[in-house]
Amino acid sequence: MLASGKYLDRARKHRAAGILVGDPVGVRAPDFELTSLDGKRVKLSDFRGKAVLLNFWATWCSPCKVEMPWFVDLQKKYGSDGFVVLGIAMDDSEPSKIAEFASEMGVNYPVLLGTDKVSDDYGNVQFLPTTFYIDRDGRIVGKGTGLLARSEVEASVQKALASKSAELNRQTTLSSMPAHPQPQTSAQ
Amino acid sequence: MKLLLRFACIALLLIGISMAQEPGHKVPSVELAPVGKVQVKPGGSAAVPLDFRVGSEFHINSNHPHSELLIPTVLKLNSGAPIAIVGVKYPAGEDVAFAFSQGEKLSVYSGDFSIVATVKAAPTATGGTYPVEGELHFQACDRSACYPPKSIPVKFSVMVAGK
Repeated sequence: MLASGKYLDRARKHRAAGILVGDPVGVRAPDFELTSLDGKRVKLSDFRGKAVLLNFWATWCSPCKVEMPWFVDLQKKYGSDGFVVLGIAMDDSEPSKIAEFASEMGVNYPVLLGTDKVSDDYGNVQFLPTTFYIDRDGRIVGKGTGLLARSEVEASVQKALASKSAELNRQTTLSSMPAHPQPQTSAQ
Repeated sequence: MKLLLRFACIALLLIGISMAQEPGHKVPSVELAPVGKVQVKPGGSAAVPLDFRVGSEFHINSNHPHSELLIPTVLKLNSGAPIAIVGVKYPAGEDVAFAFSQGEKLSVYSGDFSIVATVKAAPTATGGTYPVEGELHFQACDRSACYPPKSIPVKFSVMVAGK
């Protein structure tokens, strides 16, 4: 009882600090700022309004290699719909080696250099690949651990894309409203 | 009512199986079996078999994985004078094609494997027991996911017989 109380207290503290605990679906994806392979600082919040596939991977992870061509295809297929893949490399090796590997794999999306903090913030990523699917509002709509079927990955991408952002909804609502409200006539 | 209960039991069983198969339900482990007595004479050497066991469902890369991107299993040992580590012999890996390796065979250790370290005592060594310490560095995967590289401690003692 005491142990579960301690766990709940720790979970509450983690949630308050924006760290994922337990099932992340429905939770706002923790923002981060990481360095990309080309030396730019990239934030998750830079992609607000887009559906994001956030993939934790490493060059030493053979199952991760299987997914990468899928992500390349999905980026091509759904990029114009407002979809972006972000790879987070959890390697200790030199960025130049990661870049060489990414180039060999034909990666067409940003690859960011992972840190322990981003791993911790996403619920302590213990194994690779681990992928989060984030909707246009920045909420997590799915999580995939280990190598899954391509069809499962694509279904999660479609789910992330299906959500319209609150901002888009607001704009759509405003644009569909008549410029001058029409006088209402009540039926007699 | 009985039928409903049966359905509930089957559903729980299926949920249990699916959870058990998800990566991360077990932590990859590699354990070192207790090392037997190692005795050498001054100036002599001895082969020390170090028996490791990889936890079921996991494999680790061998010392010579087929890709330079993969992290090899490496044993590092340190000893002080008068004991020197003069050799470390790794077993050949088993070539295995996994579902994720797309037909490519990976050289791995799974289950039990032994690394043989050779220790040598200096000719001037005096009788006594000398510690050898180090670590085994490895990177484990299961059938669908890989785990961060890890090291476990390796320790044994070498007894030098008095002159």
